[in-house]
Amino acid sequence: MKRSVWLLLILALVIVYPLLFTTPFLQRLGALVLLYAIAASAWNIVGGYAGQVSVGHVVFFGCGAYASMAFFTHFGWPPIAAVPVGMAASVGIAALIGVPTLRLSGHYFSMATIAVAELARLIVTNVEALGAAVGLSGPVMPRTVFDLSFTSALPYYYLFLAVLLVVLGLTYWMENSRIGFYLRAIKDNERAARSLGVQAGRYKLYAYMISAGLTSVAGTLYATMYGFIDPESGLGILTSVKILIMAALGGAGLLFGPLVGAAILVPLEEISNNLLGGKGAGLTFVVYGAIIMIIARFYPSGLLKLLLDRMAAAKPAPSDKQVRDVA
Amino acid sequence: MSMSLLQVLIGGLMLGAVYALFSSGLTLIWGMMNVVNFAHGDFVMIAMYVAFMVWKLFGGGPFMAMPIAAMLLATLGIIAYFSLVRHVMKGPMLAQILGTFGLALLLRYGMFWTFGANFQSLPENLVGGTYDLWGIRIQASRLLAGTLAIVLTIALHLMLTRTSLGSKMLAVAEDSTAAQLMGIRPDRMQAIAWGLAAGLTGIAGALIATFFYISPTVGETLAIIAFVTVSLGGFGSITGALVAGLLIGVIESLSGYLIGAVYKDIVVYTIFIAVLWFRPQGLMGKN
Amino acid sequence: MLLEAIDVTKTFGALTVVNTVSVSLNKGDILGLIGPNGAGKSTFFNCLTGDLMPTSGRVILNGEDVSMMTPEQRAVRGLARSFQVPQTFETMSVLENVMIGAFLRTSDPARARRRAYEVLDLVGLVDVASAVAGSLGTPGRKRLEIARALATDPEILLLDEAMAGLTATEVRQAIELVRKIHQTGMTLVIVEHIMEVIISLAQQVIVFHQGHQIARGTPQEVTRDPAVVTAYLGKRAAANAARGFAGDPA
Repeated sequence: MKRSVWLLLILALVIVYPLLFTTPFLQRLGALVLLYAIAASAWNIVGGYAGQVSVGHVVFFGCGAYASMAFFTHFGWPPIAAVPVGMAASVGIAALIGVPTLRLSGHYFSMATIAVAELARLIVTNVEALGAAVGLSGPVMPRTVFDLSFTSALPYYYLFLAVLLVVLGLTYWMENSRIGFYLRAIKDNERAARSLGVQAGRYKLYAYMISAGLTSVAGTLYATMYGFIDPESGLGILTSVKILIMAALGGAGLLFGPLVGAAILVPLEEISNNLLGGKGAGLTFVVYGAIIMIIARFYPSGLLKLLLDRMAAAKPAPSDKQVRDVA
Repeated sequence: MSMSLLQVLIGGLMLGAVYALFSSGLTLIWGMMNVVNFAHGDFVMIAMYVAFMVWKLFGGGPFMAMPIAAMLLATLGIIAYFSLVRHVMKGPMLAQILGTFGLALLLRYGMFWTFGANFQSLPENLVGGTYDLWGIRIQASRLLAGTLAIVLTIALHLMLTRTSLGSKMLAVAEDSTAAQLMGIRPDRMQAIAWGLAAGLTGIAGALIATFFYISPTVGETLAIIAFVTVSLGGFGSITGALVAGLLIGVIESLSGYLIGAVYKDIVVYTIFIAVLWFRPQGLMGKN
Repeated sequence: MLLEAIDVTKTFGALTVVNTVSVSLNKGDILGLIGPNGAGKSTFFNCLTGDLMPTSGRVILNGEDVSMMTPEQRAVRGLARSFQVPQTFETMSVLENVMIGAFLRTSDPARARRRAYEVLDLVGLVDVASAVAGSLGTPGRKRLEIARALATDPEILLLDEAMAGLTATEVRQAIELVRKIHQTGMTLVIVEHIMEVIISLAQQVIVFHQGHQIARGTPQEVTRDPAVVTAYLGKRAAANAARGFAGDPA
């Protein structure tokens, strides 16, 4: 079957999923998969395509989440109205981290992302206006429909799906335009790319800023659904871990990799939390640590790539002989 | 200068010496093979728990905990090198970063799962109480930790610059292919570096545990402190790490004393960002 | 004057690898840089491309001082290069490799693709356009690097040991390709280890020895120069032995 037919089929399944599985648990699970797929797809732009591994992406998630809750608390805005604020703050922070480090080896960037995320968490924990250690809440009762406060997960499901489609569409467009080509070239061989006139530092920064802005949207959506944000959920390192592990497990640098990763890990985490309760949280992250090590050691391109390679290997590769003859 | 300020300064220097000790291992590995160990802080955390268990089970102090922690951590470091780092260090950036980052999570939440999230600490008088020198009060535990840490950091520097093992390691750092042609086995030297760096976190952890809180997540804080120290000192420089470690210990203690305890980490992390912006080659590095 | 280097010096610590070397090229010239390993020719080459900044001296491209410019800034101004050890984009296809070069002059993927095919046709790689670059052998990669560089529509092309590691037949094919490129009006700088290649291609040759320029002139002139004969042939064995310790600093 052709690729586009497959995609349409999967999209149809995703659209009808919450109508087939109507229990609140399964609908909420579906919405969470889509929410984390948004964040992981956004991470993918800088971590997967540009090859710059952010381990502190939660800071952008937190920007979006905190912007929405803070502007609601202090000015009564509907939470979703703060999306531009969260995006602007995220892009600013991305520049703060990216401008000095993206010129240097990729390790500096990763170290700086951890430090800034931790810095943001410490600052917010000490700022009363941002709820300090307690956190901030959204509207208790929806005032208008714009508060996006629903008891059912169904509306969130479709909202998240729409946003995910936009993020994936943007990624697809990027993949096929000059910036996408340049990012892959930089990831493969930065020195060679620069010799061909690619302004590597600048393109990596663009990717990081786009990624940051989109991640903050995921943060806003999270806060809208939960109606609450605190330093741990909004700025804790574990959220960074979740975002990056979903992209890396599914396939960093592949359009649908993060979605695949989220579809595997979110249900696993929800189920293990339900079975093990509070004790499960520690264990989940032990397992995540092990998965991350195994990906790094054996499958740095992720599961989806593994699957696609298997499928390609099943077909004969006609160009092999030609390659030997000509080159 | 008031006595209490002097007291804070000296306390900060002693703390900073321990920062320098564990950061020197991070900088050694970075300088030798261009790898950042994201689990470095969690190595120190494990050593702190070793010290805690040594006290809990045998009532032993740092002199009993240090050799045990050093051996254990050195073994962990060598295992990590052969089973993980060696394979990811030539791979894509994603694998290089995520390899040790995954290890960090595994250690951190493994300890979390085993010991719970609670903060622990060793009894204050485990190392000879507090001295009073001309009105300046100094904890014996800090004095011991600081002095030993400075001695060991200098010893590491001398080992690298004055012994044949050290010059072999530096040769690998310089050009591992050329070193190989001269009959040095880069793989073995890098494994030794990992054993050494991890062993030093063992000693540093056993020392710092005598006056610092112990928790599964302390490794993240210590890792960031090591990043600040190493970047401020210049990547790969042991002497740079020593100076930077002492400086950060003092800055941290002073800001805790002058602005408030909750802000000391904020100040230190902000310095990191400032260093990256203005002196990415480190304070002593050339432009 | 298209490219000019004035008293370029490069030191690493106490070691002076390139010592006050000057060259000048007009449009359509082929300049050869030769010398034993460790003589400093690759370091000088990298000062021209921007991979290294000269410690002192200037590099002038089209009348503009580019001494302190990065490789990407020089690429925009019409300078393109290949690498001694091929630096292809391993996971991308041959076509995509060349498109990266073509994207310097257009942001439209369709136009970049058309331009890439033109260049692939010129260098004879059109049949493997869809193969992954990582699957090519050394000769294929060296050709691909030249194609990629040409796709940036440069005014001057710098080739760093484009023949190293090739068999005699492949060297002949490569020389033919360089001639073909030169006939399109391209200006070239060629670093070569093999004297024979330079003699058959370059109009002007500079001979490096221990960081110094010890001779310059036509290939015929420099091969008769006694200093060159001693340095290049007489001490060749000694220079090769020294490789194990010092290596080529570039």
